Amino acid sequence: MALSAYVILPRGSRQVSLDLAQVAEQIEKMAARLKAEQAERKQKISLAIETLHKQAGQLDHLRQKIQSSRTTWLVAEIPDRLDIHEAPPPCPQDFIVLASDGSHIDVDRHRSARCFLINVGTIKLRYGKHPDAELSSSPSLYFQAEDLVISSPSGNSYEPIEGALLGVKRSVEECHSLADAASELEDSLPTLALLDGSLVLWTLAGKKTYPEYVSQALVDEGFLRYLEEMRKLSLVGQLAIAAYISFPRSTEVTNALRLAICPHNPVDCDRYCRGKDAERQCDSVAGVLDRAIFNQLLSAGERSATFGSRSSIVEQRYGMHRANFFYIKIDDEEIARVEIPLWVAQSGELTGLVHALIWQQCRQGQGYPVALSEAHEKAVVTGADREQFWQLVERDVALKSSAKSRSKRNRWI
Amino acid sequence: MDLTVEATKIGEVIEASTGKFTAQCYQLNQAPPLGSLVKVGSMPSEIFAVVYNIENHSLELGRRPIARGESEETEEGIFRANPQLSKLLCTDFNALVLGHRQADDIAHWLPPKPAYIHNFVYTCSSDEVRDFTQSLHFLSLLVAANLPTPVEEITAACLRYSSQAHDDPHAFLVKAGKELATLLSGDLKRLNSILKKL
Repeated sequence: MALSAYVILPRGSRQVSLDLAQVAEQIEKMAARLKAEQAERKQKISLAIETLHKQAGQLDHLRQKIQSSRTTWLVAEIPDRLDIHEAPPPCPQDFIVLASDGSHIDVDRHRSARCFLINVGTIKLRYGKHPDAELSSSPSLYFQAEDLVISSPSGNSYEPIEGALLGVKRSVEECHSLADAASELEDSLPTLALLDGSLVLWTLAGKKTYPEYVSQALVDEGFLRYLEEMRKLSLVGQLAIAAYISFPRSTEVTNALRLAICPHNPVDCDRYCRGKDAERQCDSVAGVLDRAIFNQLLSAGERSATFGSRSSIVEQRYGMHRANFFYIKIDDEEIARVEIPLWVAQSGELTGLVHALIWQQCRQGQGYPVALSEAHEKAVVTGADREQFWQLVERDVALKSSAKSRSKRNRWI
Repeated sequence: MDLTVEATKIGEVIEASTGKFTAQCYQLNQAPPLGSLVKVGSMPSEIFAVVYNIENHSLELGRRPIARGESEETEEGIFRANPQLSKLLCTDFNALVLGHRQADDIAHWLPPKPAYIHNFVYTCSSDEVRDFTQSLHFLSLLVAANLPTPVEEITAACLRYSSQAHDDPHAFLVKAGKELATLLSGDLKRLNSILKKL
């Protein structure tokens, strides 16, 4: 049931925007519902794990089934073993962890000055004989007409950088900062460069389609260019890159198990199962998150096998940087998804370095990589910062904002 | 920290008023000792002050340090395992202004202008401490101050520290005791409290 944003109470009672007493009742109902579903969920997880173990002898068959499948959901590319659980290798004596994270202030159509701001926090932590830390943030204001849009090569059309697309632009800038930090390293120590979130720029693979030149600018000439810079650096020093997703909600491994369960070959959801939601055999494990499976398979510090992403954007564009991923158990409450480009996944040494250093970072960071947590602290733009930013803009540019925007700031009765 | 021959740069003013200032140290836990003399600015306009409070804390409001060393054998081990801590924690100290330099003379009264934000703060060299405490007029500002730490503690610490800069520390303390006896003639309790700590 949708919550009413503004509740008008009987005359004489206090008017509030959100009536928490009413919400509390609804929360109780939600909790009861989740509890009732718990038994069913446990059964599904057990079945998923059983299916995963059963695949050991028929992985080639499952791989072929995945290749030929036509599904509506994303399925992982599977490795040679599904149920391995690997302990972290020891940390090198001296090593460096780099991390970057960003936040932004979006274009606000109620303000006369059209601009956006990206603030990227970059961290370098050095461990070992000469421990050291560098914590920095770098804000960039984009205001030139050409900075605010991505134009087609012909110049006939353009896509404004705002909303979800600004999120992608921010990811590109985070990767840019990380590549710069990696290129400035003076010591050739084993280094892990960490990004927050996914290596896959999902916005550009989502339902809303963007013109080809947008992907070209942001992915090929943006994100992948900086990943490539880091790959080249890894040829001369031991540098690995990884993207870290806390509490992931992905189901790509579960979806591979759904294919294993499916009686049809080739699997074709539209052809065989259209309109049969919840009656299909594969529904016996549907809805199980990958992390629920690996929470049972892994012990603290252990990682899963490395799977491959089959997302369309990755298959079409990523090449050597194709996203691979494994799960790592941090503690009983946290399974993280670690995404690594193909060139890292293909090197046992680099994958081991990612595993060892992420485990070290999580132990030092109360369950979350300490370098990422500090990068976030340097990047964060608070509500107060945002307001102050716009005040500065309006004062210096001497422009007027919309009546709606002013009314939000100066509340009155 | 003992008296040094050379003045050493230790931090910067981050808050200042006519009678007090707060400085942030460049190095964690490297504040000058309580009661020591520090100076801000450079010749010919220097402000002299006594350290009356030192605080070690998180640099960021709302980020409270947590215990980290359960599995570490040494306290240094905590900083080795968490190199970012040295950038997230800091040491500040508060200083009470006791005088300033006017041309070449030392004046034991408040300066016409407070320290500037970002003025460098230096420990005073032993020569400077001796010059500044040659006359004990600074004690009147010190004993009259209203500080969050007990003034008697700071006065005694300042005199003990400064005495090391004089050829005859004992004679210096006796002279200071007499000056205090005059200043606090109506408050024997406070006077005794200081004298016992000298």
